[in-house]
Amino acid sequence: MQDTKEKYWSPYVAGFVLGLVLLATFVVMGRGLGASGAMMRTVTYVVDTVSPEHVDNNSYFAKYAGGDKNPLSNWLVFEVVGVILGGLLSGLMAGRFKWKTEHGPRITPKGRWAYAFLGGGIMGFGARLALGCTSGQALSGGATLATGSWAFMMVMFASGYVVAYFVRKQWI
Amino acid sequence: MFTPLYKFDFFGVEISFVVAVIIGIMFGFTLERAGFGDAKKLAHQFYFRDMTVLKVMFTAIIVAMIGTLLLNLVGILDMSLIYLNPTYLGPQIAGGVIMGIGFVIGGYCPGTSLVASATGKVDGFIYIAGALFGMLIFGETFPLFQDFTVSGFMGNAKLTDLLGLTPGVVAFLIILMALGMFWGAEILEKKFGAEES
Amino acid sequence: MQEITITSGRHMHHIDPHLTIWGWEIPVYLFFGGLVAGILFFSAVYFLRGKEDEMHATVRIAPLFVPLLLSLGLFALFLDLEYKLHVFRFYTAIRLESPMSWGSWTLAIIFPLSFLWALMHAEKVFPNWRYPYAWMENAMTYVKKYAKVIAWLLIYYAAILGIYTGILLSAFNARPIWNTAILGPLFLVSGLSTALAFNMILSKNKEEKHRLGRIDLIAIGIELFLIIHMFMGFLASTQIHVEAVTLFLGGPYTAPFWIFVVGIGLIIPAFIEILDSLHKVKSTLIPAFLVLFGGLMLRFIIVDAGQFSSWVY
Repeated sequence: MQDTKEKYWSPYVAGFVLGLVLLATFVVMGRGLGASGAMMRTVTYVVDTVSPEHVDNNSYFAKYAGGDKNPLSNWLVFEVVGVILGGLLSGLMAGRFKWKTEHGPRITPKGRWAYAFLGGGIMGFGARLALGCTSGQALSGGATLATGSWAFMMVMFASGYVVAYFVRKQWI
Repeated sequence: MFTPLYKFDFFGVEISFVVAVIIGIMFGFTLERAGFGDAKKLAHQFYFRDMTVLKVMFTAIIVAMIGTLLLNLVGILDMSLIYLNPTYLGPQIAGGVIMGIGFVIGGYCPGTSLVASATGKVDGFIYIAGALFGMLIFGETFPLFQDFTVSGFMGNAKLTDLLGLTPGVVAFLIILMALGMFWGAEILEKKFGAEES
Repeated sequence: MQEITITSGRHMHHIDPHLTIWGWEIPVYLFFGGLVAGILFFSAVYFLRGKEDEMHATVRIAPLFVPLLLSLGLFALFLDLEYKLHVFRFYTAIRLESPMSWGSWTLAIIFPLSFLWALMHAEKVFPNWRYPYAWMENAMTYVKKYAKVIAWLLIYYAAILGIYTGILLSAFNARPIWNTAILGPLFLVSGLSTALAFNMILSKNKEEKHRLGRIDLIAIGIELFLIIHMFMGFLASTQIHVEAVTLFLGGPYTAPFWIFVVGIGLIIPAFIEILDSLHKVKSTLIPAFLVLFGGLMLRFIIVDAGQFSSWVY
């Protein structure tokens, strides 16, 4: 743990580089980064494959895949493909690619999996309600000074700190 | 002004997808380098042990914000063409509360879970499965709270309009706030981070 | 390979303006064909060079999968035939100018050869290998005397099979995108590359993996060269070729081709393999899986784009 930690960039350096990536995205594409939108499109794609009628009848799914629209033919979907590749390359190059489960000292990996699924589910639901996740709302919206994004960001961190006490056994 | 390049038709949709992958690679690479592929590192944010998330996010926001302002000032970037997240206060605040809960329980946010999975973290894969499931539930139950999802609509509201200040002043205030937070973060890490064995 | 009755010049459903008769079956068939050709080629080459022990997975283990892989490929092809019972007709007519004809003959030769080749090596891979009847044992002893001849035949026919998977398309010159002589070598090299990746996955020997990785780098380099060469050739050709190639340079196939074939299938695995050979990263099977994925995508996209491009708009 200690030796791998040293290989991470300083948070300020990482933040600076991340800011430049975000800036480049604004300059080249005129839009921000994101992640949860691509996940939603994946879900919609699966639903659309199983039952196209169901998608057309649900106004939320129909927005992504109504009629002949392919939900995966989208900028964010390709961006997320890149995110996975970039994470993989960085992990490989830093010797951090390893099959394992991150868990605190007081919880078993299986327990951690249950929390991961539950937390993922809550987050997935919340991200769609909030019209974006940490990348799409807080980061991209924050840099463009969108009012709602700042409100979202503040509330999310506040809520996290309140709940943290109740699940502390998972992490510390 | 000739940027954003895409909005000025320098290239089409298909090329934009190729650009998307390249930008995504840089994004994912940076997230991994920041340590965001590690759920413990992310979650320790909420116990004041490791304030990396806050430092990285605010540094990034400031760099991108100043960059866009400067490029706009020198006449390169047309800021009005950059997509602005519309404000729907109701769902955004409710979503923020829910996501804060999900973040602490799950240990990732959607973007970082992708990076975690890409470096072989099993909990990252399970988190993604959970997130996809949560989104499916959202889509299926959407008609029940359809009205709420558009509540508190304020259009393309920006902090500058809300506060009645120029972008430069708002940026300055955000930088001040961030510097204060960085300073606080360093103190908190010294205090609580030492507990980590 | 569906038989279609042509009655009038144009406005034929499924053919004009876009050919839409080939689904997933043909790309899968071409993928397995190329993979099999590559496996047999490297197995035979390293056998002849006496490297059976250093290249254990390449020479002995990989060929054991060939009969299965070839069957899967031929099954996909068979699913694509509209008149499945007419399959024998490929063999009742020998026409030298038809690649479909000599392709099927190549397969008819390579299938039994590869089966014998796999049997020969099975004895070494499985120490308890026994034939149920003595005549089989005797027959194999006889066959083994001609191992070198079989190896040479395999090299020859594997190369033909590999090229054929590309020529099959380019012989169909009604489609501008396929109308290039480069598809043959491109599919051959791609097939060799996927076979190297397949061998890397099978191999447990570090030395062998590194050697395969280095050869794969060369293969990837050649593939990139051929792809660039192919596009330059199209751009310097007739207006119709130029229009056809814009499918990949801004048209609907741009993103899938450059992202999945060139990016994920060639450049990223090459990058990781270079880092690996410089000992900058831990050896993983990731580049191998990416190469296999890229090879499959190449065939899907070329087959699909070829059907989309046409001489008349």
